[in-house]
Amino acid sequence: MSDTLFFILAALAIVGSIGMISMMQPMFSAISFIITLLALAGIYALLGSSFLFAIQIVIYAGAIVSLILFIIMFLNIKPENLPQEPSKNRFILLSSFAILPFSYLLISMLNFLPQQQPTPEAFGDIKSVGLTLFNDYLLPFEAISILLLISLIGAVILAQKERPIEISDKEPK
Amino acid sequence: MIHNALVLCVILISIGIIGALSRRNIFILYMSIELILNGINLGFVAASKLHGQGDGHVIALLIMAIAAAEAALFLAMIVMLFRSRHSLDTKKFTLLASKERPHV
Repeated sequence: MSDTLFFILAALAIVGSIGMISMMQPMFSAISFIITLLALAGIYALLGSSFLFAIQIVIYAGAIVSLILFIIMFLNIKPENLPQEPSKNRFILLSSFAILPFSYLLISMLNFLPQQQPTPEAFGDIKSVGLTLFNDYLLPFEAISILLLISLIGAVILAQKERPIEISDKEPK
Repeated sequence: MIHNALVLCVILISIGIIGALSRRNIFILYMSIELILNGINLGFVAASKLHGQGDGHVIALLIMAIAAAEAALFLAMIVMLFRSRHSLDTKKFTLLASKERPHV
């Protein structure tokens, strides 16, 4: 049962991601990116991490993709603003041939996985994740709070109204 | 199932790299980078299940926080670039690579 569900979700994730990189309109590719993210959330639930399932839906499909959709609508993109890509399919084919050996190498490396260890009782729920986060990963947690603050300030500074840049005609001496 | 999840992780990272290499729309470039981060997250979660330890979940959580910070900065950068160039084409964002004086 869970294997069938896994294959359905994996097929949805792959179809959504292929649709994302092959659509012309950014709006359509953002919507097919949502399909990939929701399928990945289901796969997290199948792998026994109920906390990351909720976080994936709330942060990725809820916050990040709606931010992308908001920016796409905010920019009021017309067809002449989109890049002309007449040889898009040829580029996708060529780069997939370039990527193929590496992914084949990685997938063939997966045959030497170690034996699966038994999972403890409370695996992947919010209590065990929180205990691990605040016991062993306290320093990265604090560093990420500083990173979020810096990116907040940086986004405000980058997106503010552009002041006219004065470029003098005189050469600097 | 863990083996299949790791194969899916490799496939998602490969599709993300293909999208980042072959498309010229800057939104799709950004979403390909997000797709690579998602594939890495799936790898961490599957490895956490494989070893029976919860550390992978914590690292996946930290990667999601980094992706949120990246989303804010990248989208602000896209707004700024679209204001100055009126295009989403990555071939037009060549200010640092050009030798001429910028005409803003």
